[in-house]
Amino acid sequence: MILIIILLLPIITGFFLLLLRNPATVRIVALTSAIANLLLTLGLIISVPATTYTISSTHFMGTQFTLGYDGISLIMLLLTNLLFPFIILSGFTRSHVQIPVLNFLILFTQSSLIGVFLAQNAFLFYIFWELTLIPVYFILLLWGGENRRAVTLKFFIYTLTGSLFLLFGIIYLFTLTPGLHTTDFSAFNQLHIPAATQTWLFWILFIAFAIKMPVFPFHTWQPSTYTMASKQGVMILAGVMTKMGIYGALRFLFPIVPQGVLYWQNTVIIMCLTGVVYASVIAFRQTNIKRLIAFSSMAHISLMAAAIFALNYYSLQGLLFQVISHGVTIVALFYLVHLIQERTGTLELPQMGGLKHVAPNMAILLLMVVLGSIALPLTSGFVGEFLIITGLAKQSIWIAVFGGTTMILGAIYMLYAYQRIMLGEPNPNFVKIKDIRALDYFILVPLIAIIFILGVYPQPILNLVEASVTSMQKLLIPANEVISLLTR
Amino acid sequence: MSALILLTVFGILVLYLGFVNNKAILAPVAIVGLVATLVLSVKDWNLGSKYFHDMMIIDNFSIAFNVSMLIITILIFLFGINYYERMEHHVAEQYALMIFALTGAFLMTSFSNLIMLFLGIEILSIPLYILAGGKKSSFRSNEASFKYFLLGSFATTFFLFGIALVYGASATFYLPEIKTFIAQFHGHLPPMLMVGLLFILIGVAFKVAVAPFHFWSPDVYEGSPTLVTAFMATVVKTAGFAAFYRLLGMGLLPLPAPLEKTLWVMTMLSLLVGNLAALRQTNFKRLLAYSAIVHTGFMMLAMLSQHDSSASVLLYYTFVYSLATVPLFIIFIHMKRASQGLEELSIFRGMYKQKPWMAVFMTILLMSLAGLPPTAGFLAKYRVFILSISQGYLAISIFAVLMAVIGIYYYFYVLREAFSESNNPTPLEINKLNAVLIVVCGAAVLLLGIFVWSVPI
Repeated sequence: MILIIILLLPIITGFFLLLLRNPATVRIVALTSAIANLLLTLGLIISVPATTYTISSTHFMGTQFTLGYDGISLIMLLLTNLLFPFIILSGFTRSHVQIPVLNFLILFTQSSLIGVFLAQNAFLFYIFWELTLIPVYFILLLWGGENRRAVTLKFFIYTLTGSLFLLFGIIYLFTLTPGLHTTDFSAFNQLHIPAATQTWLFWILFIAFAIKMPVFPFHTWQPSTYTMASKQGVMILAGVMTKMGIYGALRFLFPIVPQGVLYWQNTVIIMCLTGVVYASVIAFRQTNIKRLIAFSSMAHISLMAAAIFALNYYSLQGLLFQVISHGVTIVALFYLVHLIQERTGTLELPQMGGLKHVAPNMAILLLMVVLGSIALPLTSGFVGEFLIITGLAKQSIWIAVFGGTTMILGAIYMLYAYQRIMLGEPNPNFVKIKDIRALDYFILVPLIAIIFILGVYPQPILNLVEASVTSMQKLLIPANEVISLLTR
Repeated sequence: MSALILLTVFGILVLYLGFVNNKAILAPVAIVGLVATLVLSVKDWNLGSKYFHDMMIIDNFSIAFNVSMLIITILIFLFGINYYERMEHHVAEQYALMIFALTGAFLMTSFSNLIMLFLGIEILSIPLYILAGGKKSSFRSNEASFKYFLLGSFATTFFLFGIALVYGASATFYLPEIKTFIAQFHGHLPPMLMVGLLFILIGVAFKVAVAPFHFWSPDVYEGSPTLVTAFMATVVKTAGFAAFYRLLGMGLLPLPAPLEKTLWVMTMLSLLVGNLAALRQTNFKRLLAYSAIVHTGFMMLAMLSQHDSSASVLLYYTFVYSLATVPLFIIFIHMKRASQGLEELSIFRGMYKQKPWMAVFMTILLMSLAGLPPTAGFLAKYRVFILSISQGYLAISIFAVLMAVIGIYYYFYVLREAFSESNNPTPLEINKLNAVLIVVCGAAVLLLGIFVWSVPI
């Protein structure tokens, strides 16, 4: 029952917001709902053992309204509900443009994301998966920046192309299930699909997730979308929606097409590592901070995608840890970038410099977040990426070497960017700039605290994912045996 | 049968009510007639009655399709109250002709004899030729009417010639007998029969506007009065597909290989041509005409993936498609009025600013046409794909999936216009009845998608 409350609370609050007029009330109500959801999630993690929730009366055409969770869902659920209070809080500005609608759309997104992570039925998963796109489309279209009309449409078509292939895959799996067909994950997991089918079915399923993450070469929608998106839009996109791709890959690929995964493992890892190096190099050449961070996010996500396919204990553990870590860091980073843009009126690096003289506190906070982003020890990024690279090294030392470039190149372009924003001679244009306000502390300090606490004491998250990682491992053992038989 | 008779009587009644010179009573009378017909139709459920030496069989299939067409026509008439308010003369004829066309549609859903099918198609078509020219002083309306008439008659001759050839080969008009006659050749048909069947298929394909027999539809859709276009795009298409399905399901399936291949090629062509042409349109009515061709392709896909549930999927698809299309045309009428008669896509600009609720419901309707969850349009496409994939047509299904993506582009292009700022916002007025109907249709599309996943046949 608690699952259905967590699922529906945001959207119901969202509809309620549409009736309100006063922007301040709207924001407070939205924030309260998001915090309540976070508390419910924490309660769920602490107290209740794994459950599934089923409304069986709606069983039709093999589709059942089934919610449930395991360690992986919990991580994603935690991430979503952790970030949304901050995303809503970041909207507490002086702007008064259609606040109820905006907050409604944000809460709508939250509900559909939660739905994606809780669905135990592929059809339901797909519905929520598509449903996340609709509010995000409008957030981007109505509150986006320059050139938003064309970019939003591109983003929408791009992601939908992947989704429709996923739909094809789901229907195909549906027709394979024995007896009365069903789309339950549990039934999909027990299918024994011939190896030849798995090799092509893998791509049908994977493309949707590859586009969402995004993995090279399916990334072309991402930089322009991030750049033009509004503050809250980009926080949702980069913080949570990229994780949908990772979640989908874990949920669909391993249990359903394990042989396909093994067959394409190296190809996909090479694609991901190409993405890592490519995105890092391009990030270095950017002059727009937002574009730079978009590419840096792509590099980190590509490393996580490689970790999915490294298929061992460490990489999976690191991956799930990094889901939280990356989400928190990137949200803080994008928030700071928008703060800088609001203060200085520009995003171009050459026009900046010397900001630390007028805004020292901002400089310190940005430094902390940047350090978290480049995975320095004691930050959460370090724990995650270290585990991932350990896992990659078990696969092959060369993969680990290329994977490790994320950290090195990341340090180069992030610190270089930091230097160009904050350090240097005082800039005459920026004399009147104010340092950060109380609201910004409310957002940044908790996020930074999470980054450092998890960096020092990562055990709670690791415990949370322990069981899932082990069970994920077991899934691949039979497939491994088949492959070794075939190759012998 | 009583339903059909009642419908005809009401058609004539409405025609004579034109003498009363009171426009206000026309629509209510017509709607009462349709509702009464609806009730009588539903009462025949599960009876499976046969008439005229089995030339007509009113079974559950035909009743289901009839009811769906009746509901859509009632919807169109309700919108017509406002639409025909500005028209001075011959309003009664408009309603009466649509009712007569519906009579023909009833014959098309329940025939079991090729002559009956021919009668149905003609009774449906001739009122439409007149309706397309409804705006007597409009050049384009006249063009549409004339074009439709010429091409329509041309297709009819093909159809008639096909019937004659099939009769020449098999000596019967009855579909079940033709079926047994075909079966004895085991796929190697004599040329006369083959050509006859091909011509029959061409005739029906023309009516439902399958590519490459679609060329009339964009011009006719564009030129006709918009309410008539809505009628053509929905009721006529439903009737055409009911007839098509009956023709194939009762008589011709399994088709000989060359004919089946022909139909598959037509399906893929509809998906491709419709989409590519729709991408280039700037006129909303033409856009919907091409998108209708794409939907035809999806319906063909459902029909050709032969399965017990094909009919049910087809009905669901046509109904949901009609339910979304009619209000879109109505929204278009209002935007057109607000922009001094322009028909470009840009007239939708500024809609969100002026009437946010209307933009929201337009979003739902367009999402349904584009096939996005949780609308009914998604479910319709989902069921079509389930059919085609379960019957093993994987490559064609993937092709159709790609085509569905292209569709999303132009539907969301329109949507994007609705949510953009307008340069010169002229006040957008809409009367209460139409507003309520648009909201009802949007809500219905949404609720059907969430709760009603199939229709009984």
